Amino acid sequence: MITYVSAGLLALLALSIPVGIVLFLLGFGVDQFFSNFPLSRALGNMVWSSSSSATLIAIPFFVLLGEILVRSGVATRTYAALDRWVSWLPGGLVHANVATATMFSATSGSSVATAATVATVAMPQAEKLGYDPKLFSGAIAAGGTLGIMIPPSINLIVYGFLTQSSIPQLFLAGLVPGLALALAFLVVTAVICLIRPDLGGTRRVFPFMQMARALVDLVPILILFGLIVGSIYRGWATPTEAAAVGVAGALLIAATFGNAGWEMMRESLLGTVKITSMIMLIIIGASFLNFTLSSAGLGRELTAFMEGLGLGPLGFIMVVVVLYIVLGFFIETLSLMVVTIPIIVPMVLAQGYDVIWFGILMIVLIEMALITPPVGLNLYVVQGARKSGTLNEVMLGAVPYVLVMLAMAFALIAFPDIALWLPNALE
Amino acid sequence: MELALINRLRKLNRAIAILVGVGLLGMAGFVVADIVLRQFHASFGGSEELAGYAMALVSSWGMAYALLELGHIRIDLLRSRVGGTARAFVDVFCMIVMSGVVVTIAVKCWPVVARAVENGSRANTPLATPLAWVQVPWFAGWIWFAVMTCLITLAALSLLLRGRAEDTEPFVGAFAEQDSLQ
Repeated sequence: MITYVSAGLLALLALSIPVGIVLFLLGFGVDQFFSNFPLSRALGNMVWSSSSSATLIAIPFFVLLGEILVRSGVATRTYAALDRWVSWLPGGLVHANVATATMFSATSGSSVATAATVATVAMPQAEKLGYDPKLFSGAIAAGGTLGIMIPPSINLIVYGFLTQSSIPQLFLAGLVPGLALALAFLVVTAVICLIRPDLGGTRRVFPFMQMARALVDLVPILILFGLIVGSIYRGWATPTEAAAVGVAGALLIAATFGNAGWEMMRESLLGTVKITSMIMLIIIGASFLNFTLSSAGLGRELTAFMEGLGLGPLGFIMVVVVLYIVLGFFIETLSLMVVTIPIIVPMVLAQGYDVIWFGILMIVLIEMALITPPVGLNLYVVQGARKSGTLNEVMLGAVPYVLVMLAMAFALIAFPDIALWLPNALE
Repeated sequence: MELALINRLRKLNRAIAILVGVGLLGMAGFVVADIVLRQFHASFGGSEELAGYAMALVSSWGMAYALLELGHIRIDLLRSRVGGTARAFVDVFCMIVMSGVVVTIAVKCWPVVARAVENGSRANTPLATPLAWVQVPWFAGWIWFAVMTCLITLAALSLLLRGRAEDTEPFVGAFAEQDSLQ
C-alpha cells in the first residue's frame, strides 16, 4: 500500500492535477483497493469535521494580518527603519533584507508573503545603490523562508492539526531555531561580503538621531508580535484567539501608520479568502487520506516496512532528510508537508522521536524546498519583483543560505534541545 | 460566449469572496470582544464553536473564488514543458478530474445534512446549535463549488473543441505563482 500510494501521489502530482484533488483521489484509491469496508461513506463527515475546526480559523486570521500589513505600506517603513540599523555591517542593505524578513515572519506566518513584501520594497533600492543582484535577491528569498519557522506560523498550525500535537508547544519550539537561522543568515552574509566586498554594497552608517527616529517605525511591529505571542503564553488566549487579536492589532497599526482604506481592505480580504480556500482544499483532502490510510491498516504495514529496512533511528531520520531534500526540488512547501505527514510522521514517531521536535525539523527541510529549484516558490516571487536579470541569479544567490539551513537540520538532529529546550523549560 | 460566462462568474464569486471576508473580519471582532470580556469575568460563550462554523463556511464558499483566480496549487513540472495546445489539453483534463472529485464530495456531504435535518440534531455543546442551521449553508457552498467547477470545465472544453486552445489559459491554465501565497 505504501508503495502504491507514494507512486500514485507522484504520478498524479506530475500530471499537474491540483494537490488537494490528488489527495482525495488517493483516498478513493485506498478505499477501493486496500480496504475491506467502504470508507468513502464517511467522506461527508470527514469534510465537515475537518473544516469546522476552531483551530484552523487561525489560518485566515494570520493570512489577513499579513495582507493588511503588506498592503497598507507598513512593510515599506519597516524596511527603511531596519536599513538605518543594520546597513553598517559588511554587506550593507543585504542585512536589511534578512532583518525585515525576520521581523515580518514574526508577525505574518507566511513565507511567500514575507518574501514578496521584502522583494517589492527592496529591489528598487538595490538597483539605485548598485548592489550585486545575486546575493541581494538570494537573501530575500532565503530570509522569507523564516516566515514559517518563527511563530506564528501557518505551517506549524497545519502540522499541529494533522498530527494532533500542541500548537503553542510547536510555536515555542520554533522560536530558538528560527532566530538562530536569522542570525546565521546575517553572519554568513557578513562573512561572504568580507571575503568578496564586490558582492555586497557600500556600508552605510547613519547618524544616531536618524536611527532613533527610525525606531518609531519598528515599535508597532514589535508590539504586535509581543501581543500575539505574549497572549498565548500568558494564558489569555489560544493560538486562534491570539490570531484574532493580531488582526485587530494590524488594523490599528495600518490605520495609524499606513494607508488604510477601503481599497486596501477589499484587496486584503480577497487575498485572504483565496489563500485560505487553497490551504483548506489541501487540508480537507489530507484529512480524508489520513483517515483512509489508517483505517486500511497503514500502522501494521509501516511497522513491517520499518523492520524490513533494518535501519536504526538515526539511519532512518537521515533517509527522511534526503527524501525531503529530493522531494523539495519538485513539490512546494505546504503540499510537501501535508502529503508526507500521513506517511512519514507515524514512522518517525515509531522510531521514538518527539513529535514536536520532528515538526521543527520538517519545517527546516521544507524551508529549503522554498528556495531550491526547479520548484521553489520564493525564487519565483523574488524574480517576479525584479525588473531585469535571470532566475539563475536568484538561485545562485540563495545557495549559501541553503547550506546554512542544511547545517541547521543536522544541528537539530545532533542536538534536539535546540528546539525542545524552550517548550520544556516553560512547561 | 465562454469568456463572457467566465467573466460573469468571476464577478459573482468576487462578490461572494468579499462577503466571506467580511464575515471573517466579524468573527475576529467577536473573538477579540470575548477575550476582553473574559478579563472582566464575563463571556459571550461559545466563541470557539462559532469560529468552527465560520471556518466551515469560509472554506466551502471560498473554494470557487480561489478556483477562478487560479489559486489552487498545482505542481507545474511537466505541464510547462509542453506546447500551447497540449498544455490546454492537460488543463482541461485536470479540470474534468477535478469536477468529478468535487461533485463526489458535494454528493457525499448530503447524507450529513440530511441526517441533521431529519433528526433535528443539535451540537453537543453549551450552545446546542441546531446543526441544520450551519450544515445547510455549508452544504450549499459545496454545491456551489461543484456547479462552478463543472461550468468552468464546460467553458474550457467548448473553447478547446472549437480550436481556441490558447483562450483557456487565463482561467484554467498557468497559475499566478507570484501571488499564490501560502
